Amino acid sequence: MNLVENPFKKIAIAVAFSPRCEALLAEAKQLQDKLGAALVFVHIGKKTFHQEQYLKHLIHRFGLDSKNNKIIWEEGETVDTILAVCQNESIDLLVAGALEKENLLKYFLGGVARKLSRKVKCSMLMLTEPNIHPTGFKNIVVEGSDHPKSEYTIAAAIAVGKAYQSASLNIIQETDLSKMALIRHEELKEAEVEAIKEEFVKEEDHKLEAILKCNDYSGLTVCTERIEGKPGYVISKFAREKQADLLVLNSPDKQMNLIDRVFPHDIEFALADLPCNLLIVQETQYTL
Amino acid sequence: MITLSHHELIKFIVCIGAMLIAARLVGEFFRKFKMPLIVGELIAGILLGPSFLGTYFPEISKWFFNGTGNVGIALNGLTSISVIMLLFVAGMEVELSLIRQQGAVAFKTSLVGLIIPLGLGYFFGRYFYEWFGETNANNILPFSLFMGTAMAVSALPVIARTLMDLGLFRTRIGMIIIAAAMFDDLIGWLLFSVILGLLNKSAGGMDFVYTLGMTLMYAVGMLTVGRFLINKSLPWAEKNFTWPGGFLSISLGLAFLGAAFTEYAGIHAIFGAFIMGIAIGDSVHVTEKTRDIVHQFVTNIFAPLFFISVGLKVNFIMNFDFKIVLIVLVLAISCKLIGAGLGALWGGLSKKEALAVGFGMNARGAMEIILATLALQAHLIGEQLFVAIVVMAIVTSVMAGPMLQFLLNPSVNTLKNAFIDNNTTVQKSE
Repeated sequence: MNLVENPFKKIAIAVAFSPRCEALLAEAKQLQDKLGAALVFVHIGKKTFHQEQYLKHLIHRFGLDSKNNKIIWEEGETVDTILAVCQNESIDLLVAGALEKENLLKYFLGGVARKLSRKVKCSMLMLTEPNIHPTGFKNIVVEGSDHPKSEYTIAAAIAVGKAYQSASLNIIQETDLSKMALIRHEELKEAEVEAIKEEFVKEEDHKLEAILKCNDYSGLTVCTERIEGKPGYVISKFAREKQADLLVLNSPDKQMNLIDRVFPHDIEFALADLPCNLLIVQETQYTL
Repeated sequence: MITLSHHELIKFIVCIGAMLIAARLVGEFFRKFKMPLIVGELIAGILLGPSFLGTYFPEISKWFFNGTGNVGIALNGLTSISVIMLLFVAGMEVELSLIRQQGAVAFKTSLVGLIIPLGLGYFFGRYFYEWFGETNANNILPFSLFMGTAMAVSALPVIARTLMDLGLFRTRIGMIIIAAAMFDDLIGWLLFSVILGLLNKSAGGMDFVYTLGMTLMYAVGMLTVGRFLINKSLPWAEKNFTWPGGFLSISLGLAFLGAAFTEYAGIHAIFGAFIMGIAIGDSVHVTEKTRDIVHQFVTNIFAPLFFISVGLKVNFIMNFDFKIVLIVLVLAISCKLIGAGLGALWGGLSKKEALAVGFGMNARGAMEIILATLALQAHLIGEQLFVAIVVMAIVTSVMAGPMLQFLLNPSVNTLKNAFIDNNTTVQKSE
């Protein structure tokens, strides 16, 4: 029994008529097949005959013209309009294509996908290299930090991993011990510091064990690993080194803005340079 | 080039050896009574300085620590380097993203916890300076600003250790206190640098507006572009240099360069080192091990040298004025309790928790002593007020633990309970 059987029942695909549009729809088809979700294709911009025909053609080509799916054309400011659609349609997961890395100016100003990821109230999947022949998510890396949101994030990652029959799912416990130096230099002996560290680690391990007990991950190879360093940065680095194809992170606790990009923390490290596809998990009212 | 003579060199080396050993022995003695090492280090200085050795064994004291001649200059240089390193390490402890992460509660706690002590300290320094044994009204603006800063500053390591002992270090309330103290330190040192700039101007130094402009430019530049460049170049350095030895040389080298720049700009060198510490410490490439090596190096060698030198400079017995000590103590405790407490209340904590935050932030520790020593060196304060501030720093640091323990009893602390509840939720779902 899983905490979450299917976290994403209704998925919105942000469609832009870019060269990656076809690949994005191919990925959408796979998402629908694997997760059994209803799809909503959202395009923000003026509806022209040519574009309408092209989108219909693509939808037909990828076998997405089921009655469960629909197309929404809206005009207005791209980010705000997509967010409004997600809200109105009770979307569980928003999918958008995103560049691995944006140039410095665009990063600070915020491209569409990254702006969406900072504001969206549902989960979001950012696809860095959508493929016309989707390869799925074979190696998944998921955040297992000591945070109340991790319980749901891990459950969602397991659900995705099972649906995609992933080869491995790595749960990473990030341990930020930078503040330990604050205490250590005061008056602790080496053994006392080690004991404190051990206590931290043990406490976190117990929590993770409890989370895993609540989930059925049979068929999946689940590994847990602890890495020391800045949360957000070390997990991104790990995902890159392991050539993961999906990184799953908790949604930020509060809305991020420019200051968070100047003084990055947590998810901002991943957004600055996406190591692979990124799934930001948000527990929405619709998924409960 | 002037060099130390054979005799002077021996004297200098003996002084350093005696200072380090005395600081460690007395420090460890006080550690047995659960007191911070710094208390022992200060008392070692008092024992070796004019308060004890100078009074009862003047000949020995004169041979060792008379503070004049080439040996005195060399020792003075060493303590100046020590304080630069201490501020560099203090900067490395400041985590800008943590302040941002903790959000409104930490910001409000910090802001009110800063404004009220600053305001009250300034007010009493401006209108009741005689209470502090000061008679010179010429430097009234820098003096009153100093009093404000002295009331506002807090001691991050003392606070962290206290929270750790109480098992609150990684709880929400713990992080709020840490983040608020970090922000207070940042603003406190910025302000103190401006005060020293004011003094510099009155002593015929560079133009104050120019100095202030340079300060802000340096701080903003280092915390944005400088931080970014350091973060980008550390992996290259790690790949090409021996590590973490290379980090120690590069980081301390940058700290001294930053210190030299701010000293040149008319602000004290400590500010340059402090900001450089923040810029370097914030890098994602600085691991716990590397950070720890810098901390161990500075806090076990240079910190004792600095704190023992505090006791060597002043006669604590002669300059102990109970009235001034009492006034400083009451003012300091009230300022922080009211300020940080009201800030925490405004941030949404309960009365009891807000009071606990106030007592947590009240610990002044080493930072206050550094601040007072620099003010004494700059002739901003007299020796009686200096002694009173040192006593206040020790008392507030020692009282933080028991007061937090009393106020944050786990059975009544809702925030800690909320933290425990997270575990329970996980277990319930099984």
